[in-house]
Amino acid sequence: MQIERFKSIDSTNKKAKEMSNAGSLPWTVVVSEIQENGYGRKGEAWYSPLGGLYFSVILPRGEINDLQTLTILTAFVVAKIIKEDFKVEPLIKLPNDVLLNGKKICGILTENIIGNEVKASVIGIGLDTNISDFPLELESIATSLEIELGKKIDNEELMQKIIMELKNQFKTISQ
Amino acid sequence: MDFKIKIKNKEYQIGLKEERGMVMVKIGNKEFVFGSTKEDLLPNIQESSINKDCSRKEIVSSLSGIVTSLFVKDGEIIKAGQKVLILSAMKMENEIVSEGEGKIKKVMVKENQQVKEGDVLIVLE
Repeated sequence: MQIERFKSIDSTNKKAKEMSNAGSLPWTVVVSEIQENGYGRKGEAWYSPLGGLYFSVILPRGEINDLQTLTILTAFVVAKIIKEDFKVEPLIKLPNDVLLNGKKICGILTENIIGNEVKASVIGIGLDTNISDFPLELESIATSLEIELGKKIDNEELMQKIIMELKNQFKTISQ
Repeated sequence: MDFKIKIKNKEYQIGLKEERGMVMVKIGNKEFVFGSTKEDLLPNIQESSINKDCSRKEIVSSLSGIVTSLFVKDGEIIKAGQKVLILSAMKMENEIVSEGEGKIKKVMVKENQQVKEGDVLIVLE
């Protein structure tokens, strides 16, 4: 698995789309410690300071229905992994969010480039891991694993687990 | 005999039958009757609506959704691969790109407009 690592980047999804257009292979991962302009659905900003986990995966060419299924399954994958690893009770807010104690902890955004057919697809995951506090306007709606658990999380290990599980899910739904 | 064919994501209902040496082809609501000679056949084919459709250059939506961003306008010249709009659909953001280049005759949609699969988004000259 090829992983492109950045200290800071505009947006991991944006970079992954550029790389896909330039010929990068499926399952190439773009991960950054900071996103300067991280975004979610409808272009809404995703708070992306140092400490969080922000990565995007170039997906294999797929049917649009499979890509939609994968988007929804990704929320389940993230919720399952943090539930099992950290003994917490996440809630999935379909289709794209995972909540913990009523606050958003993870956002998922799939973007497709479509001409006569789907030319490229990327899935981006923003997971609030090691963020100790949020700006005032987000305090009531966002939380992090660090805030909820009172400890730091290994971002690399968590990312690898999520990607492995995504691959398994994609294999299953593409069959 | 009835069957369906799909051209550029649009489905057409085709009916085909033969009576007294004449072949009747029904495409959607239009019916074309062909005789047994070439002279009968040629004028009918030239007038068929399928030929007209083929000469039009269009960007057609391959899925239902809402146009959340529009990047082009009437009269603009676009290149192959250029992003023309974003369609928020099926829980995903979909960048619709042009397959070819040309001048935009008319943008058929507006931001926040709901579109269905098969709807024409942009007509090119």
